[in-house]
Amino acid sequence: MSEFAVDLPVVWFTLRVAALAVLLLAPFGLALALLLARRRFPGKALLETLVSLPLVLPPVATGLLLLKFLGRRGPGGRAARTLFGMDVVFTWKAVVVAMMVMSLPLLVRTARVAFEEVNPRLEAVARTLGASEARVLSTVTFPLASRGIAAGLLLAFARALGEFGATILVAGNIPGRTTTIATAIYNDVQTGLDGRAYGLLAVSAALAFGAIFLSEVWLKRRTNA
Amino acid sequence: MKEILVLVFAAASLTDALKEIAASWEIAGGERIVFNFAASSLLARQIREGAPADVFLSADEAQMDGLERAGLVVPGTRRSVLSNTLVAVVPKDSALRIASARDLAGPGVERLALAEPTSVPAGVYSKKFFERVGIWDALAPKVVPTENARATLAAVESGNVDAGIVYRTDAAISKHVRIAFEIPAAMGPAISYPFALVKGAPRETEARRFLAYLGSPAARAVFVRYGFLVKD
Amino acid sequence: MTLSLEGLRLPLTSFALELDATLSAHVTAVFGPSGAGKTSLLEAVAGLRRPETGRIVLSGRVLDDAAAGIHVPPRERAVGYVTQDDSLFPHLSVAGNLRYGAGRGVARKAPFGEDRIVDTLGLASLLDRSPATLSGGERRRVALGRALLSAPEILLLDEPLSGLDRPLKERVLEHLLKVKAAFPLPILYVTHEAAEVAALADEVVVLDAGHLAARGAPIDVLRDGTPGPAGRSIAG
Repeated sequence: MSEFAVDLPVVWFTLRVAALAVLLLAPFGLALALLLARRRFPGKALLETLVSLPLVLPPVATGLLLLKFLGRRGPGGRAARTLFGMDVVFTWKAVVVAMMVMSLPLLVRTARVAFEEVNPRLEAVARTLGASEARVLSTVTFPLASRGIAAGLLLAFARALGEFGATILVAGNIPGRTTTIATAIYNDVQTGLDGRAYGLLAVSAALAFGAIFLSEVWLKRRTNA
Repeated sequence: MKEILVLVFAAASLTDALKEIAASWEIAGGERIVFNFAASSLLARQIREGAPADVFLSADEAQMDGLERAGLVVPGTRRSVLSNTLVAVVPKDSALRIASARDLAGPGVERLALAEPTSVPAGVYSKKFFERVGIWDALAPKVVPTENARATLAAVESGNVDAGIVYRTDAAISKHVRIAFEIPAAMGPAISYPFALVKGAPRETEARRFLAYLGSPAARAVFVRYGFLVKD
Repeated sequence: MTLSLEGLRLPLTSFALELDATLSAHVTAVFGPSGAGKTSLLEAVAGLRRPETGRIVLSGRVLDDAAAGIHVPPRERAVGYVTQDDSLFPHLSVAGNLRYGAGRGVARKAPFGEDRIVDTLGLASLLDRSPATLSGGERRRVALGRALLSAPEILLLDEPLSGLDRPLKERVLEHLLKVKAAFPLPILYVTHEAAEVAALADEVVVLDAGHLAARGAPIDVLRDGTPGPAGRSIAG
């Protein structure tokens, strides 16, 4: 077996893009979770299904859809070229997008439960005390759902760290530019660099373990209304 | 009676030619052939891990050497019959004017797709060629590595890269790319496809027969038709 | 103050609440068995439910007019709503809870200051505590204080003495009487206990399956032995 080693630049890159993905995903994902938790509207079941799709579709299938959309000939890719003069596929930006899409269901589902567990009575009373909708959200809803939201964000981060199928299609595996922990392991295995693969496997396992463990702890200690 | 299958691990670039050859083989009464097409480097890896392949058709000698060193090749069954040439391809609707390798280093080409240059034969060959011509350092930052030669072709077809290096046989079967220039056999690295029987092949007798058939005039004619060069 | 409920209709699970009444006493008790629609009435006055038909007018200000499509949102209504389970914010301290609506209190130049409210309800020693550590009676008082601090025009109390044991009931009742005495604020008080009605209310309105079954001074209404389950609670 080749020498055990840990490719730190790859680990560092993966952490950065995963963090960025979660950061960009959060506002949209939390808004969606709030909407699904609080409102009834025609087509809600359809929206719920769409949001859950990346969880169930084979990641490469999602990756294929993203590739078609973000490629130079796709609507997303062309828009990026005309508006910003940049390519998305085969760059770190595509990695971020792939991670965002694959993590969305986990964030929305976890945060939704957190929002649903906030006693609507508390929000109603807050309104009678003169709070605007924004104030109700920021002083009652979000603080009470905070543990569940944090758990959701952490799960989304963990999922992003491990993302492979969609990433490899839409961002490729370009050393130094789009290689993540997962794609690096794949590459190292293929080229016989098992030692490096095991090194990354160890890091990956440690990160995943830590994230899930923390998330579970937070979920158990949710504030109850 | 249980049907006998011969499991053939073959380099991706041989896909179309082999499918046709296997079809004639089966019509003539031969056993059913089941293929696993992928990059030779990945196939070699799988065989090393114990995949039950009967026959290995590699796109470069290095991968076969590796297996031989690991004692996984049946001695005396290894033969290199085929060769190929590399071509640079661009999307069919590309406006780029690329006539030689040097043009690839120019500013018009932002992304160049190659099969993974450290392990996949098509990529290894390409890199050797560019090193020989002295432009590998200029090209390296533009390289988008892919899984195998066919994936390179797909990347060029999709338009997501500006150009790619594939085998001439790959370019020939695609309607969505055009050849920008060919790397003449004399200038390029020596491309060679070694075929061999895998040690411990579950269906050794049938596999030997198929292997022999691959060297027959009928099979050779098919290879030639697809653009492969036959060594003699 | 006058609270006018004109042709009000509020569909509930098995029946509809239908009321047509004008209430102007200091403390009006809404009396009836559980499920008579009492909480829903409070929710409608608070703006948490929209009536299907009818109008709700508080001291000349239209809060709801179903026909005209008017519905003043809860935050603009200036009602102090104390729910049956207190609804204290678990993540805020007692002080935090009390002051939650105080901004509106200040804006409306609240007639009763924080000190007076804290004194009347005996909350000074509880200010830094967390709601989870409070007893039932203490929570009730904090909820009351919170509602008062938001300078409401009307106080809505939903069974404030329910779930408390006898001694606690008496203590909270004492505080309610103090509040009644200290603050000239109309109170709509929901209960199914006749004793509370007798102690606090100036007028009582009896609801039975969503309808006004009787109204008048407590002495008159209760002595008459109101029909239905309400009558039973007086006897028992």
